[in-house]
Amino acid sequence: MGWLRRLFHKRLTEKRLDAELRFHLEQRIRDFVASGVPLEEARRRANLAFGGLEQVKQDCRDARVENHIEDLLRDFRYAFRSLAKDRRFALIAVFALALGIGATTVMFSVLYNVIFDPFPYRDFQHSVVIDMHDLSDDIWRYHYTIPEFVAIREQNHVFEDMVGNYQLDVLYRDGKGTRRFLGGYVTTNGFAFLGVPTLLGRFFSSGDGKPGTPFVFMMSYRLWQTEFNGDPKILGTTFFLNGKPRTLIGIMPQRFNGYGSSLWFPLDLSPGAEGTVFPVKDTEVIWPLARLKKGVSLPAAAADVDAILHRLAEANPGELYPKGFKIVTRTLLDFVVGDFKKTLYALLAAVSMLLLIACGNVGNLLLARATVREREIAVRASMGASRGRLIRQLLVESFVLAAAACFAGCLLAYFGLKGVVAIIPRGPIPEETVIGLNPIVLVFALGVAVLVTLVCGLAPALHAVRGRLHPAMAGSGKSTGGVRHGKLRAALVIAEIALSIALLTGAGLMMRSFFALTHVDMGFNPAQMLYARVARAEDQHYDAAAKKAQFFKQVLQRVQALPGVLSATISLGFPPLGGAGGEITVSGKPPSQHWHSMVELCGETYLQTLGLRLLRGRFLSEADVDSMRHVAVVNQAFARAYFGSEDPLGQRIKFNVFDELPETPRDAYFEIVGVVTDFRNRGLLEPPSPEAFLPHSITGFGERNIFATTAADPKSLLASVQREIWAVDSNAAMVQSGSIKDLLTEVAYIQPQFGLITISAFAGIGLVLVLVGIFSVMAYAVALRTHEIGVRMALGAQHGDVLSMVLWQGLRLISFGIVIGVLASLGLTRLLAGQISGVSVSDPLTFCAVVIVFFAVGLMACLLPARRAARFDPLVALHYE
Amino acid sequence: MEQEKTEVLKGTLDMLILKVVAIGPIHGYAITQRIQQISRDFFQVPEGSLYPALHRLEDRGWLQAKWEETETGRDAKFYSLTRAGRKRLSTEMDNWERLSEAVALILSTAE
Repeated sequence: MGWLRRLFHKRLTEKRLDAELRFHLEQRIRDFVASGVPLEEARRRANLAFGGLEQVKQDCRDARVENHIEDLLRDFRYAFRSLAKDRRFALIAVFALALGIGATTVMFSVLYNVIFDPFPYRDFQHSVVIDMHDLSDDIWRYHYTIPEFVAIREQNHVFEDMVGNYQLDVLYRDGKGTRRFLGGYVTTNGFAFLGVPTLLGRFFSSGDGKPGTPFVFMMSYRLWQTEFNGDPKILGTTFFLNGKPRTLIGIMPQRFNGYGSSLWFPLDLSPGAEGTVFPVKDTEVIWPLARLKKGVSLPAAAADVDAILHRLAEANPGELYPKGFKIVTRTLLDFVVGDFKKTLYALLAAVSMLLLIACGNVGNLLLARATVREREIAVRASMGASRGRLIRQLLVESFVLAAAACFAGCLLAYFGLKGVVAIIPRGPIPEETVIGLNPIVLVFALGVAVLVTLVCGLAPALHAVRGRLHPAMAGSGKSTGGVRHGKLRAALVIAEIALSIALLTGAGLMMRSFFALTHVDMGFNPAQMLYARVARAEDQHYDAAAKKAQFFKQVLQRVQALPGVLSATISLGFPPLGGAGGEITVSGKPPSQHWHSMVELCGETYLQTLGLRLLRGRFLSEADVDSMRHVAVVNQAFARAYFGSEDPLGQRIKFNVFDELPETPRDAYFEIVGVVTDFRNRGLLEPPSPEAFLPHSITGFGERNIFATTAADPKSLLASVQREIWAVDSNAAMVQSGSIKDLLTEVAYIQPQFGLITISAFAGIGLVLVLVGIFSVMAYAVALRTHEIGVRMALGAQHGDVLSMVLWQGLRLISFGIVIGVLASLGLTRLLAGQISGVSVSDPLTFCAVVIVFFAVGLMACLLPARRAARFDPLVALHYE
Repeated sequence: MEQEKTEVLKGTLDMLILKVVAIGPIHGYAITQRIQQISRDFFQVPEGSLYPALHRLEDRGWLQAKWEETETGRDAKFYSLTRAGRKRLSTEMDNWERLSEAVALILSTAE
C-alpha cells in the first residue's frame, strides 16, 4: 500500500518528484553543453523538449491513485463548505427529497406486502375461490352444499387439489361459565394444502373425522397463547367442546390464519361423518378453496366448474339454483384484499405524484443555484480547471446532497411505516400480512432521488464545459444561462402545481365522501349502542321456541336492570347491516316474484330502542311476544312499495322462507299492525329496503342478539351483560359483542378513513413543496430583474406598480399550473371512482375549493419576493449587477 | 540529412519502458537515451510523458524505485522491474507480436 504511505508523506513525495525531474533536465542540459551548445541555448532546448515542468509534475501526480483520493477529499470539503454557505437551499432540497423517498417507500412497501406477498401459504397465487353469480338478481353465492362440493371436487379437470371448510361456534365450558371460540370444519387435506407446518403436533390425516374414529382438533397459536398460556403440555389432552370430548393433536404457528378460526375440526365427507349433517336440507355451507393446475387460466377453471354446477342444477331443479347463473373464479388474494387494492393503487398514484413534485422541486432549486453559479464555474474553468475536474466537483456536491437526502429519507420511511401500520385497517388485509420496509423499494426510491440530484446538479457543469465560458464570465452571472434555465424552471413549477392540484382534488373528494359517509342519516342513532350475540351449547341451531323466549325474557330483565342501560331488547340481526330477506306473499294479491322484503325477528321494545317513530297503528307489544302472535310492523318503504295509497294496517302477509326453515310456522300469515319510519337496514350507502318486524317468539330458530342503548360507554357494560347471561344459564355464551359504533368503524369507516388520512398527508406535503417551488422561482425572477426594476423605479414607477408587476408574473405561472392541473385532475380523479361515494368524481365544489385555496396560498408565496422587489432602493438596484 | 524522428507509437511506451528497465536498474534520463540508442535514433521519447508513465507503472506495482548514486555521484531515482512487471512485459510483448504479425500479414496479402 505504497499510495497510503505516500498519502501521509506528501511533502517528501513532492520533493522527490521535483528532484527526479530536475535531475533529468540537468542531465539533458549537460549533454547539450557537452555536444557544444552554449549553456543558455542548452537550457532553452531542454525546457522545450521537456514541456512545462509544472505540467509534467501535475501529470505525474495524476498518475498516482493517492492524488485522486486527495482531490476527491478536497471536493468533498468544498461541497460541504458550499452547501453550508447556502444552508437554506440545502435543507429544503434534502427535506423535499427525503419526503419523496420516505413516502414512496412506505406506500410501495405496504402495497407489496398486502398485494404481492401477504400469505405464508404454498403457491397461494394459484389458489382460487369459486363464486356463483345469480345473473337475474345480481346476488353472489360463495358457499356450496356438501353434494355440490363433492361433485366439483370429483368431476373437475382444472384443479390440482381442493379443500372445503365452514365456520361454527365452538362452546367451551370452564370454571366461570361457557365461552365461545370461533371454530371451523376443514377437509382433512386442508393443512397440507396451505403447506404451513404445524408448530407442535401433527396435521389432520385422511383417517381423521371418519365415522367411528376418535374426535380430534387443532388449535391456533393465538388461542393457545391467550387461553392456555402457550402450555405445550396441553397437546394430546382432551377437551369438552360443543359437548363432545376431543383430543388436541396439533397447534399451528403464529403466522397462520388459514381458515379464519381459532380451532379446527376435521371434515370427512363420507356419509354420517361429523359436521356433515345439517338441520336444513341442502345447506349451502362449504367454502371451497382450490389450487389451479399448472397453466389453467381463471376463466377456463370457471367454465369447467360452471358446466358441473349446471349439470347439477338440471338434475335437481329447485330453490338452490337461480334461473340464470354463472360461475366466476377469483384468486384467494383478490377475494381477501378485494376493493382495498384499489385504495392502495390510488394512494400509490398519489405518492408517485408526490415523488415527482419532490424531484421537480429539487431540480428547480439546483437549476436556480446552477444559474447563479455559472459565472463561478466559468471563472474556475478559465483558470485551468479541467472539464473532468469541474464535473467531478459538481457531482460530488450533488452526491453529498443526495446522500443526506437518502439518509433522512430512510429515517422517514422507517418511522412513516410505523405510523401507517398503526392506522392501516386490518379488516381488508390478510391477518398474516407482515408489513415491513421493502428494501428493493427503498433502493428504487433512493436511486430515483440520486439520479435526479446528479442530473440536475450536472446541468451547470455541462453547460459550462460546452465552451460558452466567455459570455458567462462577461455577463452578470445571471443573464446567459438564466433565460434558458428560467423557462425550464417555470415549466417545472407549472408541472409541480398541476400535480399538486391533482393531489389536492383527490384529497378533497375523499374528504367530501368521508363526510357524506359519516353523516349519513341512518334513521337511528348508533352512538351508545351495545350488541351481544348469545349462543347456547345445546341449541346451536334451534330449540323449542317457548324455552328460548323464556330464557331471553329473563336475560333482558336483568340487563335492563343494569345501571347505565337505558333500554334493552333482542333481535336476530343488527342494524344497519341488514338481516335476512326473502319473498313474501300478500293475502288477496296475485303471487309475484318481485314481492321481496327483509324480515327481522325481535323483542317488543326493539323499534323503540332504535328510536324509530310510529307512523300508523301500534308498535309490537309484550303480549304479542308472549303469546307468539302472528302480527307484523312494517317500515315506510314496505308500505310505500306494496300498498301505495292503500291502508297497510290489517293487511296479511306471508314470509315464504318460513315454509323451509325448521321450527318456523308453516303457511302463516301475519297481520300488519303498525308502520314505522325507515332506517338504513342494508348498510350505510343503500337506501332503506322494505322490512317487516315480527315477534321473535314465533320460532326457536336462529340466534339472538341482545341490543341495548346505554348511558355510558357500551363496552364498559359488556362484562356485566356476560355475568347476567351466565346468571340465567351458565351454558350460554356471549359470542360477538361490542358497540355498534365500533362495528360501523370497522366495517364502514376505517378503510375510507385510512385513504383519507394518507392522501391528505400526501396532498399537504405536496402543497408545501410546491409553495417552496413557487417561492424560489419568484425570488429568483425578482433577483434577475433587479436592474430592470431599478430603472422602472427611477422612471417613476411606484411601489404598488412593482408589487403588482411581480404578482402578475407569479399569477401567470400559478394560473397556467392550475388550468393544467384541473384538466389533469378531471381525468385522474376517475381513479378514485371506486373509493368515493355520495359525491361525484368531478364535484364542482371540490374543484372550486381547491382552485381558490391554491390561488390564495400561491399568491402568498409570491407576495414575499414581490414585497422585496417593491422595497428596492432604485439607486442600489440600478447599480446592482 | 537528419533522420526524421518519430514519436513513440501510442500505447507502446509502457512496453518499451518495461523492456528497457528489464535490463537493469536505470533512471529516467537514461531510459530516454537507451530507447533512442537502441532504436538507432528512430524513436524520440516524449520527455513530458515519460515521467507520468513511470509514475503510473510504479503506482501499478510493475516498477519499483530506489534513490541511488549515479556514476557521476549524483542522487537519481533508479527504476527496476518487479515480478508483476516482468509478467506484464511478457504479455505486452506477446500482444505486440500478434499485432505486428497480423499487420504484416494484411500488408503482404492485401494487394
